[in-house]
Amino acid sequence: MKAILADAVDWYVRLHESNVDDSTRSAWQAWVAADRRHAEAWARLEQLQCHLDNAPSGAAQTLAIARRDRRNAVKALTMLLGVGVVGWQGYRVSPWRCDYSTRIGERQQFSLADGTRLDLNTDSRADVTFDAGQRLIHLHQGEILVETAKDPRPLSVRTVSGDILALGTRFSVRQHAASTRVAVAAHAVEVRPRRSSEVVRIDSGYSMSFNADSVEPLRALPPDALAWVQGMLVSVDWRLGDVIHELARYRPGYLGCSPQVAELRLSGAFNLDDTDVALLSLEDALLIRARRMTRYWVRLEPLGLHS
Amino acid sequence: MSTVVFDGAAHRGLETLYREHNGWLYGWLRQRLSNSADAADLAQDTFIRVMLARSASTLKEPRHYLATIARGLVIDLYRRRSLENAYLEALALQPEYHAPSAEVRAAIIDTLMAIDRMLDGLGPRTRAIFLAVQLDGLSYEKAAERLAVSVSTVRKHLARALMHCLLIEDA
Repeated sequence: MKAILADAVDWYVRLHESNVDDSTRSAWQAWVAADRRHAEAWARLEQLQCHLDNAPSGAAQTLAIARRDRRNAVKALTMLLGVGVVGWQGYRVSPWRCDYSTRIGERQQFSLADGTRLDLNTDSRADVTFDAGQRLIHLHQGEILVETAKDPRPLSVRTVSGDILALGTRFSVRQHAASTRVAVAAHAVEVRPRRSSEVVRIDSGYSMSFNADSVEPLRALPPDALAWVQGMLVSVDWRLGDVIHELARYRPGYLGCSPQVAELRLSGAFNLDDTDVALLSLEDALLIRARRMTRYWVRLEPLGLHS
Repeated sequence: MSTVVFDGAAHRGLETLYREHNGWLYGWLRQRLSNSADAADLAQDTFIRVMLARSASTLKEPRHYLATIARGLVIDLYRRRSLENAYLEALALQPEYHAPSAEVRAAIIDTLMAIDRMLDGLGPRTRAIFLAVQLDGLSYEKAAERLAVSVSTVRKHLARALMHCLLIEDA
């Protein structure tokens, strides 16, 4: 098994070259498919990758600093304890979990072990299980964008509403309180609601909502629907109430608007990394004002109210 | 936490062990740690580990055994504190509302602990290359540039580190 693990590591190193080509990819796929033990060895590398993805950003530096600090005192400790600190493997913490998550206002992109790209939008949580037969992304909360890599194993996203099977594609999945919304940017997906025998295909340029029992009609996808990946919210003739509802996802605390201004219409592009700037530009453009009680409570109201 | 069921003999063995050696163990730890609360905590943890290993009644050299376990706990405490400090330092540079809850922070420290343990036994260069590529997400070329080594050195050490990580999962 050790020799096979070494081969798997070799493939891994080659596949993560910045200029990896399709012939290397197909040679690797042939290797994985050739023997069950190859697939198992590869699955272990994927598992390892998954564990490392759990580390917070800046982890490399944190680990390096911690190790340096320890090294400074390590001699004294070694003398006291009578053993080397390095090498202690006495017991382990609980098994790794393969979770990906983001905090409110945060977005993150992950590269999964097969090369699939997974973007998590604000306040989202997903876990990933890859085995020899399938690739499964379980979305628990929030919104993800999946850009699948070529791989012989099928890739699906699962939510409480049901399964979404990727057909070589780029698509987003958002979990709302009572339904799941799928938007397809390239190729197609197949949706299977959990408690229905229906199978619905969504092609590129369309979106659809569904829950465990039923699907809603397909709708054309606005061109900028996936702009959140670039940190933008693009609205074309939206109600202010809807814009605020979207912006609120990216801020901790309360962000709302009074009914007097909720129906105002607007078009615009907003930077999701700084919603304060977005609010300022709304104030300027619409003759409204933001009433603030601490940074965690903001409400948009007509000019003149409470002033 | 799982429930541990003891038979009577194992339980009496543990009681005896605790009565006879707890004071000594606390003293042993107190000499090695800067505060008495840590020493008391780790003494407790040591006995919990003995309990989970169910070996209390069969020990030939109980103090040697207790000291071995306690030593591991001291090292782990030390590892955790150093990671917590380094992590809090990094966090202090971020905007206030990004501060994670205590629960999230504990989970992050657990993750860092596990990775840090996994990297034990790697040479400094191998570790630095592994961190640059796997955690900082640098390309081989960028990592080579940052660490002033060749790209083929990056490949070689990355492979060595990955192999090491896979093999200790087996251990």
